[in-house]
Amino acid sequence: MSSAADYTILELDRVNFSYSKDKEFIRDLTLSVGNGEFIGLLGANGSGKSSILKLASGILKPAKGKINLWGKSLHMYRNKDRAKLLCYLPQLLDINIRFRVRELVSMGLYPYDIPPGINADEALELVGLADKADSFLTYLSGGERRRAFLAMTLLQGAGLLLLDEPLANLDIKYQLEILKLLKNLQEKKNISILMALHDISIALQFEKVMLIKEGQILGFGTPDKILTEDLLKKAFDVNIDISKDDTGGMYINYRNSF
Amino acid sequence: MTRVKISIFVSVCFLICIASWFFGPRFISPFSMNPAEREILFFIRLPRVIVAALMGIALGASGAVLQAILRNPLADPYILGISSGAALTATLGLLSGGLIAGKFGIPVSALIGASFVSIVVGAFGWRRGGIWPERLLLAGVGLGFLFHALLMLLISVSSDEAVRRTIFWIFGDLSVADWSVIPYGSALVIAGLLLSIFRSKALNALMLGDELAHSLGFSVHKERLMLFISVVTMTAASVSLGGTVGFIGLLIPHVVRFFVGVDNRTLIPVSAVCGGAFLCMADMIGRTVFSPMEIPSGIITALIGSPYFLYLLRKRDVLGG
Repeated sequence: MSSAADYTILELDRVNFSYSKDKEFIRDLTLSVGNGEFIGLLGANGSGKSSILKLASGILKPAKGKINLWGKSLHMYRNKDRAKLLCYLPQLLDINIRFRVRELVSMGLYPYDIPPGINADEALELVGLADKADSFLTYLSGGERRRAFLAMTLLQGAGLLLLDEPLANLDIKYQLEILKLLKNLQEKKNISILMALHDISIALQFEKVMLIKEGQILGFGTPDKILTEDLLKKAFDVNIDISKDDTGGMYINYRNSF
Repeated sequence: MTRVKISIFVSVCFLICIASWFFGPRFISPFSMNPAEREILFFIRLPRVIVAALMGIALGASGAVLQAILRNPLADPYILGISSGAALTATLGLLSGGLIAGKFGIPVSALIGASFVSIVVGAFGWRRGGIWPERLLLAGVGLGFLFHALLMLLISVSSDEAVRRTIFWIFGDLSVADWSVIPYGSALVIAGLLLSIFRSKALNALMLGDELAHSLGFSVHKERLMLFISVVTMTAASVSLGGTVGFIGLLIPHVVRFFVGVDNRTLIPVSAVCGGAFLCMADMIGRTVFSPMEIPSGIITALIGSPYFLYLLRKRDVLGG
């Protein structure tokens, strides 16, 4: 799926963060995302995936620790300059505003004074929504809406995408469509992706997975190393069997979980 | 809506403003005026048309901005309590018989009240380094009720003539408009309008939510503060120029959205132009139909505008964003 990273784009170094004064939610978190990497951030609800993505995007500010983007402190960037390098998409995109799809996608050019690269129609073509350019955003299905926002990020031209549960609440067909689109972007445009998810069967498709619990990294590596019964038990607090089929492909077996 | 259609739309609005200058209790032809008619045209009607246009521009644009900032289709410029504060101080100005703010009486005392409430509502809406829409809205509603109650108290203990003038002013009274208020009124309205137009991209992004606005390269708190300043500047100017005219700030942006869409880069200027033309037309009708008696513009805007808005609502969903 991806070649090994040859340089680091995003780096979180011993980052601490808390929502309340009495308890630290994230403690000494260290992680890095390399050029062209596609990393799945896997964890149960409330494990801290969204908070990590918000810290990495600059929406939340760490109490301690450093966050570097292309070797420079994230908070030293001007907002517009940061937006050209890093793009964050939140989990909830149920925006009930009658923007036309082309209008929404064109907002990806807002950080620029002079539009670079592709235009909105080309971005819509890439995500397979060319025929919906003049439709209202509110009329799109969940999967189409995700793709419209991804087209906006394409126009934004950032080399790093931070995606919070982009497959949540989608049918399996749309989940696979979005995943295929993201893999395509990563391979063809060498975009790095850090993506939160909670579905273990989807995590099996990633080259690298970071397993999260209570704001801590339980493990980071290839799925066959990380998605073990022990670590999954720690992360999700249930017994999950990971089996291999005749071809070596991994699949989940919930038989002993009930 | 294409650029050509928007140009036609704006041209029609401009023509309405011009027409409201010549039409009134009697039509004055610009080609054959006697000295008395010239006096009426340039010293009574023209400042009045300019004040109506300025107020309508301010209300249309600030309504569009506020509905987007608060993400609430029911928001209008008066929801922040600014009009109640202005009405209270203007009434104090009226009842004091010019003791407050001298010959500028109503406009200046209203501007003082509007500015004071803007600062207070902004302070209540401020938390953790920025303005929060929900806090702003609730603070505005709370302060509005407080000032409204004080206003009613003041009116209930006042003499008949002062009360009548106050009530006229509250419903939008343009009969006091003259050239003296136009320099400061136009300066404030144009400053607020330009600020909101320059920040319209940020407003579009804020409509997607704070996180997406951040991701698109905007400083959420800074942009919201700038837009709040643009709204309170325009609203304070409008209220001080001619009282509280209803309908325009709430419904004109919805009507305009129906024709030009939700992109604030188009919506704000077109709402401004449309608001200006609509108030000019309402004022012209108000001073004409029961001449020599005048109907406050706020009553005319609501009487004409509300049925038209309900017709649009029935025809198509205009509130969907």
